[in-house]
Amino acid sequence: MLDDLLFTAMANPVRRRLLELLRDGSKTAGSLAAQFELSRPAVSEHLQVLRRAELVREEVRGRERHYHLTAEPLAAVSEWLHPFEHYWRDRLRTLSHLMEEDSDD
Amino acid sequence: MTETIHVDQFLPQPPEKVWRMLTEPERLSRWWAPNDIEAVVGHRFTLDMASWGLATCTVTTVDPMRELAYTFAEERTDWTLTWRLVPEGSGTRLFLAHSGFDLSDPAQQRAFTNMSRGWATSVWSRLERELVSTS
Repeated sequence: MLDDLLFTAMANPVRRRLLELLRDGSKTAGSLAAQFELSRPAVSEHLQVLRRAELVREEVRGRERHYHLTAEPLAAVSEWLHPFEHYWRDRLRTLSHLMEEDSDD
Repeated sequence: MTETIHVDQFLPQPPEKVWRMLTEPERLSRWWAPNDIEAVVGHRFTLDMASWGLATCTVTTVDPMRELAYTFAEERTDWTLTWRLVPEGSGTRLFLAHSGFDLSDPAQQRAFTNMSRGWATSVWSRLERELVSTS
């Protein structure tokens, strides 16, 4: 079930961008919304989707909502979102080692 | 909306040598998979991806020592691999863009997840073994 929510959450480029922005630390809803050419309610809706997928945690401080990245589901996400990235990094590392050994030809 | 994976790697050799690693079947197979690649636009070739099966590719761009692109596993996907070689000092920075992932399609997400798991583990370990045995 959480898997479905994760897929839905990650299928959208705005939501992926939000997660990227949160990698650098928690941010307020307002500062996140300022990064997009979208209305603030639209960005809030995206944040709620991420929250339901347990990718972000919401914290209300005074008048502001702060968003934090939740590390655990995110590890699962990058696991399915970027397996090929890992694969290619590994291939290119192999190529690099091979070329070091192969320097005589 | 499709996604592209970007990876890059610095290699101490000049672009001419890196180009050969990408475009000569024997050299390419040493770090990736058996193949019959040729750096000719329109050339169709296959990569033998072990348990993942054969992947049919068609060369779409050849700019010697600079850029090589081909479709990848065209019977199953809309993927394209684009290799770019940029001189860096006395070596080369090799950029790979693996494009055409459609993550907005749930069916493709699932296929992608299952496929990549099997692929990454099987091909990976096999190539690791080969690398160890030839070194």
